[in-house]
Amino acid sequence: MSSISELYDVSWEEMRDKLRKWREENYRNSEQIVDVGEELINEHASKLGDDIWIIYEQVMIAALDCSRDDLAWSCLQELKRQFPDSHRVKRLAGMRLEALERYEDANKLYDSILQDDPTNTAARKRKISILRAQGKSSEAIRELNEYLEQFVGDQEAWHELSELYINEHDYAKAAFCLEELMMTNPHNHLYCEQYAEVKYTQGGLENLELARKYFAQALKLNNRNMRALFGLYMSASHIAASPKVSAKVKKDNVKYAAWATSQISRAYQMAGRGKKENKCSVKAVEEMLESMQITMS
Amino acid sequence: MAHLLLDSSIRLWVVLPIVFITFIVGVLRHYVTQLLHNEKKVDLQQVSDSQVLLRSRILRENGKYLPKQSFAMRKHYFNNPETGFFKKVKRKVIPKNPMTDTSMLTDMMKGNLTNVLPMILIGGWINWAFSGFVTTKVPFPLTLRFKPMLQRGIELLSLDASWVSSASWYFLNVFGLRSMYTLILGQDNAADQSRIMQDQMTGAAMAMPPDPNKAFKSEWEALEIVEHRWALENVEEELMCQDLNFRGLFS
Repeated sequence: MSSISELYDVSWEEMRDKLRKWREENYRNSEQIVDVGEELINEHASKLGDDIWIIYEQVMIAALDCSRDDLAWSCLQELKRQFPDSHRVKRLAGMRLEALERYEDANKLYDSILQDDPTNTAARKRKISILRAQGKSSEAIRELNEYLEQFVGDQEAWHELSELYINEHDYAKAAFCLEELMMTNPHNHLYCEQYAEVKYTQGGLENLELARKYFAQALKLNNRNMRALFGLYMSASHIAASPKVSAKVKKDNVKYAAWATSQISRAYQMAGRGKKENKCSVKAVEEMLESMQITMS
Repeated sequence: MAHLLLDSSIRLWVVLPIVFITFIVGVLRHYVTQLLHNEKKVDLQQVSDSQVLLRSRILRENGKYLPKQSFAMRKHYFNNPETGFFKKVKRKVIPKNPMTDTSMLTDMMKGNLTNVLPMILIGGWINWAFSGFVTTKVPFPLTLRFKPMLQRGIELLSLDASWVSSASWYFLNVFGLRSMYTLILGQDNAADQSRIMQDQMTGAAMAMPPDPNKAFKSEWEALEIVEHRWALENVEEELMCQDLNFRGLFS
């Protein structure tokens, strides 16, 4: 069992910088974090200085993900010793209780934090995650709505709510949440694409048109979003195949669908460049696109 | 223009020590302020209000990316004459009287203690210890009206107003060392006196002005005049005028 620094030939500074990068960009590669972080804590604790506390927090959350209760417990002990009255550490203790499925105790802990500091958003969000973990999605939705009434700007919460609504098949409300996200992040192509997918799922001519427009917007923001490209093709051909549309709309949509088809074939050709099976795969793409055509029966 | 040659020991024993003293006192003030500093309790209502105002502002700026109906729905939520948020919600505003409000009183006292008191003490001591001689010369000409202010202790009628005493050198230092403090103590340090004076002038501009009602009213007006121009009107035409750029997708 050789250590990370031997396996990858990295120094402790590089490991620390890697951990910082993962922390700032919100990665969730918990196993890697546990491996790298554990080694940093055990071997190089003295060299890290004050960085070590935030590394403890990061490693503890990753350890909870990987079921490493021993590591999580030791990190929590160190943090408790250094910051005995901290709400942040209390929240971590609560997360550990959640991981052990002791939801009642975790709830009591979060309630005590909220009594002390009613504006603590972290504790409220953990309580909602407990409800979600227990499968009580309607209650979770209700609590999350109340939370959002007070903290309208919390984007993480809007995204979580949209996910909950999609699970409940309440697409209109999910669309509302995604609109909030699109409003605050107009250049994020993923929110546009998710919104378009929800609109497409809702169905109906108006929604399909909206879906097509937002798929196009997602493509404009990021030319390489294949999912949006397929979505554009599907929504355009769906509208074109609908009997209720005027001739002009039909013509336009057929044009859009044809353009999308050509781009898809181009993409697959580029992917297969230099490979022997290119010709067969290109033909397979064409057949796939044919079979995806919506036919009104 | 009187050319005076000053003894170089003035430089060694007056100018440099004053710089030193000012700097050390500034750093000490910063740490003492940190010790005496207590966490400001944030009001839930204020946080909520400030976020609502932020949302309304974002709606005004980025509403053009939303479908027309969604934008109208949100505008209606805020501005509807009967049920709109900005029309319906009136916050009770308690004017914060600095004399009776205890928390603000203690804050003010602490501010006075850590900033004004040392300045007075050190200024007075320097005036007593380093008086009666010319310390330095400011590089720009000054009028005679500055003489009594800058030349405390030097009773010479014919002396140029540019030659100043050590007390004025001390005050020059207090303001001049600001950037040094930023370098050493990092941004947002408590040794920065001029910033404190600026704060007193602009008032509480950050955490919700003491009158949220006024903020609501101005936001209502701003939202009323906003029109919805859908940015996605011609998005397909714009997209399809050229091939997609797949660079970097396949590596």
